[in-house]
Order: sequence, then structure tokens, then C-alpha cells
Amino acid sequence: MQLAVNIVVLAAIYALISCGYVLIYRVSRVLNLAHGELMLVGAYLLYSTASLLGGSPVTAVAMAAVLGLLVGVLVYVLLMRRMTGEMVLAAVLCTIALGVMLRGATVLIWSAQVRHPMEALGWSNPSLVLIGDARISLISAILIGATAVVYAALFGFLGFTRWGIRMRAAGQNPLLASQRGIQLHGVYALAWGLSTFTAGLAGMLISLDSGLDGTMTMIGLKAFPAALVGGLDSLAGALIGSAIIAIAEVLLIQFVNPLLSDVVPFFVLLVVLVIRPWGLFGSKEELDRV
Amino acid sequence: MANASGYFRTSLGEDLVLLDTRTQKYSCAIFCALLLFAPFVAKPLFIDIANQVFLTAIGALALMLVTGFAGQISLGHAGLLAAGAFTAGILFKEFAAPIWVTLPASACIGAVLGLIFGLPSLRLRGLYLAVSTLGLHFIVVYVGGEYETRRGFSTGIALDPPSIGGWSLSDGRAWYFVLLAFAAGATLFSINLLRSKTGRAWRALRSNETVAEALGVHVAGHKLLAFVISSTMTSMAGCLFAYYRSFVSVEAFSLFLSIQYVAMVIIGGLGSILGALLGTVFVVLLPYIVEWVTAILPLTASISGLIFAINHTVFGVVMVLFLLFEPRGLVGIWQRLQNYFLLWPFRQTPLPGSR
Amino acid sequence: MDAPETLLSVEKIEVTYHRVVTAVQGVSMTVKRGQIVALLGNNGAGKTTTLRAISGFVGMDDARVSEGSITYKGQRTENRQPHEVTRLGVVLVPERSKVFENLSVAENILAAVPGKKGKSQAAVAYEYFPQLVRLREREAGYLSGGERQMLAIASALVCAPELLLVDELSLGLAPRVVADLIERLQLIRGELGLTIVLVEQNATVALELADYGYVMENGRIVLDGTADRLRSHDDIREFYLGHVQGERRNYRDVKQYRRSRRWYG
Repeated sequence: MQLAVNIVVLAAIYALISCGYVLIYRVSRVLNLAHGELMLVGAYLLYSTASLLGGSPVTAVAMAAVLGLLVGVLVYVLLMRRMTGEMVLAAVLCTIALGVMLRGATVLIWSAQVRHPMEALGWSNPSLVLIGDARISLISAILIGATAVVYAALFGFLGFTRWGIRMRAAGQNPLLASQRGIQLHGVYALAWGLSTFTAGLAGMLISLDSGLDGTMTMIGLKAFPAALVGGLDSLAGALIGSAIIAIAEVLLIQFVNPLLSDVVPFFVLLVVLVIRPWGLFGSKEELDRV
Repeated sequence: MANASGYFRTSLGEDLVLLDTRTQKYSCAIFCALLLFAPFVAKPLFIDIANQVFLTAIGALALMLVTGFAGQISLGHAGLLAAGAFTAGILFKEFAAPIWVTLPASACIGAVLGLIFGLPSLRLRGLYLAVSTLGLHFIVVYVGGEYETRRGFSTGIALDPPSIGGWSLSDGRAWYFVLLAFAAGATLFSINLLRSKTGRAWRALRSNETVAEALGVHVAGHKLLAFVISSTMTSMAGCLFAYYRSFVSVEAFSLFLSIQYVAMVIIGGLGSILGALLGTVFVVLLPYIVEWVTAILPLTASISGLIFAINHTVFGVVMVLFLLFEPRGLVGIWQRLQNYFLLWPFRQTPLPGSR
Repeated sequence: MDAPETLLSVEKIEVTYHRVVTAVQGVSMTVKRGQIVALLGNNGAGKTTTLRAISGFVGMDDARVSEGSITYKGQRTENRQPHEVTRLGVVLVPERSKVFENLSVAENILAAVPGKKGKSQAAVAYEYFPQLVRLREREAGYLSGGERQMLAIASALVCAPELLLVDELSLGLAPRVVADLIERLQLIRGELGLTIVLVEQNATVALELADYGYVMENGRIVLDGTADRLRSHDDIREFYLGHVQGERRNYRDVKQYRRSRRWYG
């Protein structure tokens, strides 16, 4: 039973992170390999706001979330915008460079010590007991809830609101979207902002649960296969991909070898790439991409 | 060689030659002389840096072949280096194999890995090779880590210096010449490969795969070939690296190392052998320069603890700057300089409508 | 009666792709309010490029207007982003990817950013193309050719255009469908006061509809005039409308050769 709980928690983590990959890819066909580092920035921002506003933790969290969104928009406006005419390859390389830069910058600003935003906020993280003797920490439960809310909101936004439809349109056919009055830069900036918001949210929740230091980017990287397995432009796929990878990872760690934790997502990824390269729910790449 | 003043070859013989003008031959001779005499007058630190440059250059050339010419981005370079290094380490520890066994073995392992991880790229475009090579990296690193823990070498595998017929290779200066030979060999190999039918096929498929296929270029086969050749070279470089450091451990082969190689290719300039070499020099020297600068500036001692982070940041910033402002890399800058002097006192103004 | 104002003025534009290929050279056009102007020519003449130059290129096209100017209602619009040009009132119905394939018809219409004028967006589209109402939930990729063209024009109307650029209206469509579309287009033009620039390979259809026409060859304009004049022009009749004087004797009478000799010789 504990295994099942672990799987659900891990799947929720991967899902929350991978929806960011999907958002940016779906709207601008760019693979944002700095997503893990943006998660880290979001978590560090929470640590800073928590340290500054120790008295009002809720405000701290809200502020950190909003700052996360702003960071995403800034990254687009200052950096990725200049890459929109170029090859996708150049844009991806740019995100890699951004990731490296952020990695160094976070250590310079916040030092490499392990931080505990939990303490800074003055909250506690008790362990809740579920069915049987399975335990789950409060933060993990909140994380599962947050993932559900985020996905519901994204499905609603993309599927039913005017700007959500426009974002999908821009992702499918940027030229036609522009010809129908949709300002592409605005749409892309919004996608980056939303993606970084969810990344920051994920980073914050993970750091509240298990402390904050540079190794968080590894989780960000492991969530990437989850997005790919489901199909890089499908939100539903990201959910399912996360579930599959979480199941594989938890089971293999438990019954085979704990060290496999980092490898499993990529192994599943390779298997899927060989069998069905565009993921389970993705749309087949058109012939002249990249 | 295209330059601002024109292209003047008129026969096949002339076309095949690597150095045609007298200036080129003289400058090449002088450069070679400098390279050969340098180790006798330079400090050991510089010899070590030079050795690192030569070693890294092999890997960078390999990556340039795949990324710059065949247009496939590979993020698993550190994994391939690790594969070569671990092959050397494992064979040495288990079978006390000498270098003339481990080096070819590394090459074979590299080729096999290239085949396995290049296969997904055949069905997919662009980003998918990047992704599958990422997988390669983690899997190789895992296997290496497993070997280390299982066999009790948790801090890493120590290797004896390679010996050929009783003479063992441990002196920095001796390594200099060996690595220089390897690097030069790799460079010549790459240059000639690019001038061959394979190289032309790669150039075609990089511009437009569909058209290349229509023209009879076997796209899938050539993509795979690019990756296999590249991974073989990289694996051999990894093996040499293991012997040079006399030490193999999983920590040395991080994702950051892969990114550094990608940076070499970008900063140097995609699609150019000279670019790979220039990029290598730049990236290998950068940490030393950063260290030197922070030592000169009157900063407090605490900064020195953050040297790793500073390296990271500077590195990322430099990469971004090159991507944004000089996409043709150092080679682009070099060509612009060349054009300036070749055309002087005239100047090349780009046509209206071109960037 | 005042002469109608000049809405669009294209002056000696040169369009370059990838910084090296000049697709269009020295092209000048004038479009007056209320007119229907046809742009004729064979494949590769540069008609679509001209329309796209008026509508705007995005970065991925790697194209720009390297010389000359395009002026719409007094404002210079060359080398602007398509969405800016659309918001000024110049809307393009493209030749190829004209609808969002994976979105439903209703979503296609919602995606278009409505122009400044009054009527609510969907209402305009459905008013002139009532057939789309029953197709609302269908994915645009599954529509027939005629339905797709209707959706393309409908979504363009949502942007409240003053100048509508239509690229290859009749391409791939049966004559009956084309006739319906033309009738619809004339109705829309009359009620909304649209000005239309029409690119057409089917010269008969184009000259039937248009007031004025320009003929393009190899990126240049070789002939222009009122529709009547073009319809009775010998060369146009022979090369574009298919009416041949006398017998065809040998290969020298082949279209291309004779036209080149007559127009460039």
C-alpha cells in the first residue's frame, strides 16, 4: 500500500513538472531544457520571500509564485524572443545555456548550502496516516492536490477560453495565427510565464518536503521523459507518461536496485522512442520540422 | 577554402591539396614548429593545459562531425567518454590489459553504443537524438557507478600508465607529443572525411533531408554513420583520458561535461573544423582565466570557494552571448577579421536586405 | 463624385528570400477603395509572394521586402509583423495552410482576433456562411475543399478587414463550388464595403470578378489594365484565356516561346 502511495506522489511530482515542458513545446516548438533550473529558481525565491516575510507565510508563497511567473516572462522577453526566427536547435541550445547560467547564479546568490524554506515559513510537515499503515506527508498530499488543480485549470484554459484556443492555434500554425491577428510574442511569453509558474510551484512544494539544494534539477530532468513518453505536445499524455514512469521507477527501486532511480525514466524513454517515437498521445511530427 | 578575395583552383590536383598558397604553407610550417618546440620551453602547467586541449579536441571534433555537419545534436558526449574510460579501467583491473588492447576495445564499445543510440534518430528528427543521447549518458554513468560499487572501487579505478614495450608513458612532455599526434590525426581524419563522399552526403542531409533522399543520398545510413564515427572517436578519447589521469571515476563525467562539449561546438562555430579547435581552446582555457581574474581582483577569500559557481555562470553567459550575437562562433569572428584585412582598403558592406 | 481613395499603394518592391533569392522585383500596384483587383500569372510568377509581402512575413520565412515600400491608408506597412498588418485592416486568406487543422470550426473562428468594428465575431462569420453552423464541432482538417475555403474566408472576416487579400480562391475546387464562393464574395463585398485583391491562376474566373488586373511573370509586372482591356488583349486571350488565333503549326507556336519573344523581344 505504501508503494501505491509512493507511486501516486512521484507521478504527481513528475506530472506537475512535465506540464511545463508540454506547454512551451506545444505553443512554440521549443524544448526548454532549463526547466529544472527554473524549478530551482522558484524554490529559492520562496526561500527568500519566506525569509523576508516570515510573519505572513501565505503572502510569501503567493509572492514567490507570482515572481516565478514573472521570471518566465522575463526569460522569454530578454532571451528566447531573439531565437524565434532561428532554428529550433539554436533555441534549445539557448535553453541549455540558460540552465547552466541559472545553476551558477543560484549558488552565487543563495550559496550551496541546503536550505529549508519550511522552517523559514514556520510551518510543519506532519506525516498523515492513510489506509492500512501507509503514510504520506502533508506537503505531498498538497502536491497531489496542486497537480490536480493545475491540470484542471490548464485543460479548461486551453480547451475553452479564447486565449487558450489562440495559444493552441499559434502552436499549430504560427504564420496563420499571426495573419489572424494573434500576436505571437505575447502568446509565447504567456506560455513561458505559465510554464515557469508551474515549475516554481513544483520546486516550492518539493523543497518544502525535502529541503532545497542544487540536486533538485535532477528531478526536473527526470520528468522530461515523462513528457516525451506521453507525447511532447499533449497534456493528457504528460499525465499518463508521468504515471507510467513513476510506476516503473518505484517498482524497480523497490524490487531490483535503488541506484536505478536516475536511470529508469530514461530507460523507459528509450523503449518508447524505439516503439512509438512521437509518444503515446503526441501528434506526428511534420516532415520539415527542424 | 573560400575567402574574401576569391577561389582560384583550376585542377583536381590543386583542389585536393590541403595547403595551397605559399603563405599557407609557411604559416603551417611555423605553427607546427612552434607546437613541436613549445614543450621544451614551457612550464609544466602550460604543458598540462596543452595536453588537456589536445585530449578535449578529439572529443570536440567528434561532436562537431555529428552536430555541426550532420546536424544532429548529441547531449550524451560525457556518457561516451565515460564508456571509453570505463572500458579501459575495467579491462585493466580485470584482465590487466595493455593499452593496445584497451584502445581498440574502447573504439568498439564506442561504435556499438553509437549504433544503439543512433538508431532512434533514424525515425525521428532533430530533438529526438538529443533526448536519446541524454538517456545514453545516464545509463552509461549508471553502469559505471554500479561497477564501481560492486567491485569496491568506490573512489574510482586507478590505472597504471600505459606501457609499450617496456617504456611507460608518464612524463607530461611525452604525453604532449602522443596527444598532439592523436589530435592531429583526428583533425586530418575529420578534414578528409568531410571532403569525401560521406562528408558531402552529410552536408546535403543537413541542408534538406527530403531533397537529399530524393537525390539518392541514403539519409538514414549516413546519419547513423555520423553518429557511429563520432562515438568511436569519443570513446577512444575517453580511453586516453583515463590513461592520462591514471584514474577513472564516475563523478568526472557529469552532464555539465556534455554541455561543455556542446558549448565548444557552438562557441567555435557550427560546421567548421577550425571552429571545433578554437572552441576547445576557448572552453578549456575559460576556467583558468576565470581563476586568474578572481585571483587578481581584490575579492575576499570567500569568493574563491564559489569558484565552481562562478565558472558555471560565466560559462552560461558566454554561451548565451555567442548564441545571440555571434551564431557563427569564433570562426565567424576569425573570418570577419580575415575579410577585413584581405579586402583592405575596401570594405565589405552586406547587401541591403541581408543581415 | 469623388474619385475613390487609394487604399493600398505598392511601390517598386523587391522581395528577397534567405537573403539571396529575389522572388519579386520592381512590382508596383495601386488598389482603390471598393475595387476588386486581380493578380494573374503562372506558377512561380511571384503572385503569392507579393500578397505575403503586403500581409507580412514571420521570422521563419526568412524573407523581407528589401526595397520599395507598401503604403496602406497613408501608413508604411512593409516588413511589419502579420498581426500588426491584420489589425490595420489588411487580412490575408492564404493559399495553402488556411485553417487550423486540429481545431474545430468553432475554435477556428474563435481563434481569430476580432477587428475594431462593431459586430460580435462569430456572428459575422456565421451570417455569411451559414453552412458552417452545422459544422461547428467538426475538426477543420476533415472539411471538404469548399468548406475549408469557406472557413478560411469566414475566419478572415472576423478580423474586420477593409482590404481582403485572397490567394488562389479556386485552387482545387470544382467549378460549381467556385461559382458559389464568388457569389458569396461579391455579396460580402457589397454589404461590408470590402476592397479585394485576388490572386488567381484561373484567369477566366479572375477577370470575370475583377475591375482591374495586373499580370506577373518571373517576379515582375508585365501588363496591367482594366478587366475589359485585359479580356480583349490578344496576348492575354492566347496565353491565359486559351483562345488561339489560327492553327498551331509547330513547336515554335508553343505558349512559352511565343510569349517570351513577344513580351521580351
